This record gives sequence, structure tokens and C-alpha cells, in this order.
Amino acid sequence: MTRQFVSQTSAAFRIDVDSDLRLSRVYDPIAVPAFVLVGPDGYVKRAQIGFDKDELNAIAAEMGCLPIAEAHDGAPQRKPGCSSRHLEPFAAIPSAEPLNLYAPTGARASLIDVAEDPYEYCIREFGDPLPVVPPTVERVERMMTGFNPSELIGRIPPCYGEATVEKIAANAVMAGCEPRMMQVLLPVVRAACDERLNLHGVQGTTHFAAPLIIVNGPVRGRLGFACGQNVFSNVSRANSTLGRALQLILRNLGGGAPDGIDMSTLGNPGKFSYCIAENEEASPWEPLHVEMGFPADESAITLFAGEAPHGVSEHVARSAKGVLTAIARALATVWSYRACMGHDALVVLGLEHVRTIHRDGFRKQDVREFLFKNTGIPLRAFDGVDGEGISQRHSYREITIDGERCYQKFRSPESIGIVVAGGGAGKFSAVVGSWATGPRGSQRVTYPCP
Amino acid sequence: MSITLVNPCIEQKPQASRAPRLESLAGKTIALLDISKPGGNVFLDRVERLLLERCSVTHVVRETKPTYTKPAPEGLLEKLRNVDAVVEGLAD
Repeated sequence: MTRQFVSQTSAAFRIDVDSDLRLSRVYDPIAVPAFVLVGPDGYVKRAQIGFDKDELNAIAAEMGCLPIAEAHDGAPQRKPGCSSRHLEPFAAIPSAEPLNLYAPTGARASLIDVAEDPYEYCIREFGDPLPVVPPTVERVERMMTGFNPSELIGRIPPCYGEATVEKIAANAVMAGCEPRMMQVLLPVVRAACDERLNLHGVQGTTHFAAPLIIVNGPVRGRLGFACGQNVFSNVSRANSTLGRALQLILRNLGGGAPDGIDMSTLGNPGKFSYCIAENEEASPWEPLHVEMGFPADESAITLFAGEAPHGVSEHVARSAKGVLTAIARALATVWSYRACMGHDALVVLGLEHVRTIHRDGFRKQDVREFLFKNTGIPLRAFDGVDGEGISQRHSYREITIDGERCYQKFRSPESIGIVVAGGGAGKFSAVVGSWATGPRGSQRVTYPCP
Repeated sequence: MSITLVNPCIEQKPQASRAPRLESLAGKTIALLDISKPGGNVFLDRVERLLLERCSVTHVVRETKPTYTKPAPEGLLEKLRNVDAVVEGLAD
């Protein structure tokens, strides 16, 4: 390639390829491209590091030439350059191929001929320890119908494996998805690669977090997502297989192996499958995706890096305040009871609770603000033994809850996500605690679903 | 009879290898990278003292990641390229 380029120039001087970095060591630039003009006496007359059109034209003028870098030729005015290879401490060691995070396509998957029982092979080689549907060529092709197999949807942290349509489809087959699930799974993978979700951290942490998928909009009915009774459990093929497909992708393409990079101390049963849909029909309020700016008649998926759901029972209270106070007490324990301001939570309100709360005139925002204002940790809890959250108390906000001085648990009402789901019987709701949140942790993301 | 499966796993293999081990710490510059977990400074303060007092390390460079939840930013990695070895300190 270099020879071809040189032949296109009319260079009258010798051109060397510095493959052993010998010249780089002699002139020792901190970055490349670097320009070093050596005079007839052997001394460096001029050196320029990086790319700069003004500098290049000044050098050309000094040598009696016309300007060589035009202002509007499509190249930038200046670029700082990259660190010179000879300064890399271990340049002798082959480094990993650089990742092109913006490539539109990726490599086709290899094919594996398996002579043994394919179920046993798949359990051993791919996926979680439960049986999977073997991803045969025919099944994967059926899953990809209408899509370009090489299209690169994202790279899955922390190992940044290429999530092409084909690789996603192979994992979807294994999870038991129907082919039409690809229309939801592709946006889920896009959302999983969103830097705000910070999958790099979520996949490596010792915490419990796993991405929970929340499905909203008409796609719920079209694909059969369950949003009622047993919404967090094994109630529908759509919920179970979409959740499982994502978890298999995180492991098989992201490298989040539960006996390796995924360092979770106790884990999370959601790492088999973690997917719910909102019970929009039973909710008097706008659904989650509408809150996030999407039209009600469009579908969307949301990812939230959460712990397993923590149940809240309140079968006695007959007022919104009574029900929400019980939920606030559960919210106070998210992460650790004296840790404030650093975490979020998702509140999944059961239908009986929603009816009680709505009957008292609460809108969704009223619910959020009530929970925000009434979730706190009494100051007296900070006077005892040392523990997590105490050293940050100087940055906490003091509020009064039921006449008692408390530190406010959450940063803002928006730290509390609200979803309505579940069956018609039982006065239960659930709190799903977050991992570290905000720009330094994991942020909830919502993506449209065609 | 065999069956053909589409490989569902990551296929690009990372080529990076372990850096060569140092034969001695004497006269070396060692960086201690605090990943911003609670207690990391306590652990690394002690390591720094041991390196200087017992291992004849010439210079200890202390750096801190902005957050333990994300990879180190490029600028920080750049600073670590000029030392002989890095000790990354977890804590909690």
C-alpha cells in the first residue's frame, strides 16, 4: 500500500518504511504524524508534531514552495496526532487490533460441525447452564429473515464482541425466541450498548445488578408480552425468551461469564432472564415510555440495571399515603440504609395499590414526589456504629418526615422510576434497587421499538 | 451424523499479552492507581511506604481513576505509560 502511494507522488527524496521504529527512536517524536526537516549540516532545522495546515504551509514557504495544504480540501485545519509507537513501553508485544466502534458491518459468524448431542454441546460451550435450542444454520437464517446478517448493531462490553444481526439471531434462537422477536431484541441490544447504561461496569461489578428490560406500547399485545399476574416470573414466552436472549448475548458476546469477568458476589436470578411489560391498560397514568417522550401508540423498551425485586406488602392501609409510606420505607433500604444520594430505584406498583393511590387523587408525578419527600433515614441512625454512607453525610440533605429529622434518600424525584404491573389480586408492589447511578454509574435508557 | 451450528460467541481474540515482569524494583518508577473505591488510599499509602522503604523504588507516582465504575480515561492511561510498573488498588 505504501509502495502504491509513493508511486503516485513525485517525491525526489528517499522514502523509508520505519517498521522496526529505528527512525522513530532517533528523532523521538511524542506523537505522529511528525515532520522533521534536517538541514544539509545534519542538524534539525524544523520539527512539527501532529498535523497543522498553517505549519505545513510555513515550511513549504521556507523551502520556496507554494502552499501545500489548502484551507477547504476536506482535511481538518489541525489534528494533534496519536502517541508514537516507539513510546509504547512494550512495543515488541503485538497489541490487540484496534476496535472500530462505528463500523456499519461486522464479520460473519463461523460455523461449527458438532458430531455429539447438540444439546449437550451447547450447554457446555455456549450460554448459561440451562438447555438451549441449538442455533442451526436453518434456524438462525429464519430468525434473520428481512435483516442483513452482517449489520453491526453494537459491540457488547466489556469484551466488545461484535453483535451483528447474525450473532444476535444465533443467541435469540438459543433463547427460544420467535423470529418476530428480532424487532424488539435489536433495539434492546442497541440500548444495552448505550454508554449511559455503562454495561462495562454493570457486567463486571460485584453488585447484584442485571439489566431489566421493561416493554411498553402496542408491541406487548402483538408479541404476547405479559404484564399481569407473575410479571417477573415464567409467565410468557415473550418475556422469558427476550430476557434470556439479552442475558445470553451479554455472556456470549460481552464476555460476562459468571465464573469470570462477571464478578457478582451473590448474583441475581434475573441473569437467566429479566423482562417485564407495563400493564398500561390497568394504569390510570401515562406509561413509562410516554414519560420518556415517546407517543403512547408507539412501542419502546427501557433498560435499568437493577437488583432482584424486593416485595412490599401493604394489605391494611386504605389510603394513598398509607400505601406509599410502606413503599417509602422499603425504598429507604436501597443499596444500604444509610447510603443516600447515590442510587436510584424502580417502583413496580401492583394494581390494587394503584387503585388505592389513584382513588385519593394522586397523579404519577404526585406519587414520585410523595416518595421522594417521604423517603429518608433518621439522623439518629448515624449516631451508632460506623458503616457505609456515614462518611458522606456532610453532602446529604436534611428533611423532616413525620416530625423526625432525616437525611433524604434520593437526589431528586426523577431518581424514582414508576411502572404499573402485575395481577389483579394482592396488595403488593415491588422495589428494584439500582447499581451506582448518574453519569458515573449506570443510567436508565429508553429506545424506540419499530 | 453431525449438525452445523452458527457460532453465537465472541470470535475476535484479544492479542494483548502480559507485560514483562520486572526483575527488581530497585531504581524503578512505580505508579499506584487508586480506582476510587473507599479505602483504596489506605491500602496504597501502605504499599507506597513499603515500596520506598523496603524495595528501593526511586519514585512512586499516585494516580486516581475518576470512578471505579468505568474504564480509565485515555489521559490517565497516557500518564501511566511512562512508568516501569503499575499497581492497581482495589479496596472496600
